[in-house]
Amino acid sequence: MTMADTTQFLSRREKIIANLAVILLAVMTLLPFLWFVIMSFKPVDQIFAGVSGLFFTPTLENYAGLVNERFVRSIWNSIVTSTVSTGLALVIGVPGAYALSRAGLKRDRTMSLLILASRMAPPVAFAIPYFLVYRTLGLLDTQLGLIIVYLTFNLALVVWLMRNFFDATPRELEEAAWIDGASLWGTFVRIVLPMSIPAVLTTGMLCFLYSWNDFFFALTLTRNSAMTAPVEVVNFMNYEGWEWGKIAAGGTLIMAPVLVFSLLMRKYLVAGMTAGAVKG
Amino acid sequence: MTRFQDRTTAGALAQGKVKRRTILRGLAGGGIATVLGLKAPAVLANSRPFEGVTLQGACFQHVFHEHVKAYLPEFEEASGMKVQIDFQAFPVYNQRMDLELSTRGSSYDFINITFPYSGRWVGAGWLHPLDDFIADANITAEGWDADDFVSGTRAPFFNAEGQTCGFPWEAGAMMAGYARFDLMEAAGFGIPETLEEFEAMNRALHGKDGFAAYVNDKLHHWNFPPYLMNFGGGVFRGAPEDLMPILDTAEAAEAAHYYAALLSDYGARGVLSFTDDQALRMQLNGQANARTNAMAWVLPLTQSPDSKVRETTRYGMIPRGKAGSFPGSNANGYGIPAEARQKEAAWAFIQWATSKETFRKIALERGGLATPRRSIIDDPEYRQRLMINGQDVASIYLKVLEEAGEGGYMKYRTVPVFPQVGDKLNKAIERIASGQMSAADAMKAAQSEAIDDLRKAGIAL
Repeated sequence: MTMADTTQFLSRREKIIANLAVILLAVMTLLPFLWFVIMSFKPVDQIFAGVSGLFFTPTLENYAGLVNERFVRSIWNSIVTSTVSTGLALVIGVPGAYALSRAGLKRDRTMSLLILASRMAPPVAFAIPYFLVYRTLGLLDTQLGLIIVYLTFNLALVVWLMRNFFDATPRELEEAAWIDGASLWGTFVRIVLPMSIPAVLTTGMLCFLYSWNDFFFALTLTRNSAMTAPVEVVNFMNYEGWEWGKIAAGGTLIMAPVLVFSLLMRKYLVAGMTAGAVKG
Repeated sequence: MTRFQDRTTAGALAQGKVKRRTILRGLAGGGIATVLGLKAPAVLANSRPFEGVTLQGACFQHVFHEHVKAYLPEFEEASGMKVQIDFQAFPVYNQRMDLELSTRGSSYDFINITFPYSGRWVGAGWLHPLDDFIADANITAEGWDADDFVSGTRAPFFNAEGQTCGFPWEAGAMMAGYARFDLMEAAGFGIPETLEEFEAMNRALHGKDGFAAYVNDKLHHWNFPPYLMNFGGGVFRGAPEDLMPILDTAEAAEAAHYYAALLSDYGARGVLSFTDDQALRMQLNGQANARTNAMAWVLPLTQSPDSKVRETTRYGMIPRGKAGSFPGSNANGYGIPAEARQKEAAWAFIQWATSKETFRKIALERGGLATPRRSIIDDPEYRQRLMINGQDVASIYLKVLEEAGEGGYMKYRTVPVFPQVGDKLNKAIERIASGQMSAADAMKAAQSEAIDDLRKAGIAL
C-alpha cells in the first residue's frame, strides 16, 4: 500500500492537520539553512541588526571576499579528497560486499561487524595514531593522507550497506547468467551492478557527504596545503573578530553542490534508501 | 650552554666553508643588527649568516602578523633566511598546535604562544628556554634589551623554574570602554571609579529604546576575575604553587552575583551567548555602552572605520571594588618548540620581530598599538597616537600592564590547569545570570567541580 492509498483513510480535517504538521516540520528543519543563506547576502553591518536587519539590500560582497587563492584551493582539496575516496571506496567495497553476501563464509556476519567496527569508535580515538603515523610517513597536510583516512571509514560503510542490499536481492538472475556461461566477474559487472545502481548511488552519496563535511580529520591532519573547505571556513573566525558574512557565504557554497546533487539524484536516492527493505 | 645548529649552516660548518664564530658575530653585529635598528660594525653590515635556511613558523591569524609580514623582506634580506609562516584561525591554530607540541613535533621552528595556552605549553616543557640565547652576546644583539618589556607581559612565558620560554608580541590590558559617554554625561555621570558608581550608571542608562548599558562576551573566565579580585576573592589560593581553588568564599559569591547581574540586568539581549565580535559590534553601532575588556577590544570604538561612536567613546580603568583594582592583562608571544631543529635561526627571527625598531614601526607606521615594550609606550609619538578624545589612553594601558606585573595577580592564568577551572567559572556565571542558581550555590558547585577536575589532572590539593 502506498502513501497515497493511506491518505484515503484520512478525513479532510486530518489531511489538513497532517499537511500542516509536515510544513511546520519542514520549516523548522530548513529555517536555520534559510537564515544562513540570507545572512550570506547581507551587508556586514546588517548581520546582527535585529528586526531592522530583516530589510536589507542584498550584496555579493561576502562571496566576493571568498575569491582568493586559499579558499579556492580548499574547495579543490575538498572535491579531490571526497571524490577520490568515495570512488575508491565504491570500487573496492562493492565487490567486497558482493563477495561477503554470496560466498557463504563461516562467521560472515562477524566479519561484516568487524569491518563496521572502524565506524563505531569516535574519530578522536583514531586522530592521534593517524597524526603520529602520518608525521613519520610525511603524509601530514597531503591530499593522499586525507583520501586514505576517508577511504578507511567509507569502505566500512560501503561494505555494510551494499552487503545488506545484495543479501536482499534474488539470486535467480545470477544463476541464469551462469547457466548461460557468464563468469562470476561477468555476472557481477553485467547483471548485478546495473541492478544495484540506486543502492550504489545512495551509498556513494553518503560516503561523499561524510568526506565532504568532515571537519575533525581535516583539522587534525592538514595545515595549509591540503586544508579542506569546512576547515577553511573556520579560518574566518579570527582573534580580532568573526567574519560572519564570509562564514555564511562559505558555508552556503559548501552546502550548494551537495544540495544540487541530492536534488538531481533524489529519485535514485529514495529508491536506494528503500532497496532491500522488503526481501524477495 | 646547550648548542643547536641549523641544518644548513651545520653542513657549511662541517665543510669548513663558514666558521661558526663568524656566523654568530654576523648575527650579533651585522645585517640583522641593522634591521633591528642597532649599531653594527660596518664590516659586518652586509653579512647574511643564515643564507639558505628556510625557517618554518606557525601563528594564529592576527593583524600583528600582517604587520610583521610587511617588514619581513627586510629581515630576510639581512639574515639570508627565508621565513615561511602557516597562518590559521585562532581556534584551528590552538587545536593543531596543542597536538603538535604534545606529541613533541618538530615541524615548526617557531610558534605563536597563545595566552590561554601559555600555562599549559610552557608548564609542560614543550617550549625551549631562551635564557641561554639571551645571555649569549654572540647571538643576541646588545641593544635588544629583554628588560624593556613591561614586566606583566613577560609573566605568562616563565616556567616554574623561572626560565623564559617566550617573548610577547602583543600585550593586552583590560580597561573599560564607554561607547556612549554622551548619554553618561547627560545622565550626570563621569567615568565611574568604583563598582557602586558603575552599577548606578548602568541602572540609569539601561533599557531606553533597547539600549544596553553593559555588554561583554561569554568568556567569563577572562572577564570575571577582575571583578572577583575587586571584591577580595581569587581563583586559586596561591598560584602557581598552591592550586586549591577558592571559588566558594563569601567574596567570590558576592563578586559573581555582581557580575552576573551586570549581564542579566543591564546586559544586551542574548549577551550570555555573545562572542567577542558580537559584543564589539553592539558597541560600534552605539547599541551598548560599557564593556570591560582588553584594549584590543575597546580601542576599535575609536579606531574602526565601522564605528558610529568615535566621538562619544571614552576609556577608563575598570572600576575598583572594596579590595582594590585588579585589571586583567595578557600577552601573546613567540616561542621555540622544544624539538625545533633550527633554534638559533628561530631566535634570530624572534629577536627581530620583537625588537624595539620593529615594534616602533608597527606601532607608528601601521597602528599596531598593543605593544609590550616600555620604550615604545613612553615614546612621545606613541603617546600622541593614543591621545584619544582628550584622554591619555597610553597611561591607562601602561598602568594596567605595570599593576599586573608588580601585583603578580595574573599568575592564576599561567598555570597549566587554569582552562579546567576557567570552564567552571563560565558555567557558574551562566547559571547565576540565567537564574538557574543563586550565586552562592553556583560558586560552591564550581568549587566542587573544579576540585574534581584538578584531582583528575593529578594535582595534589
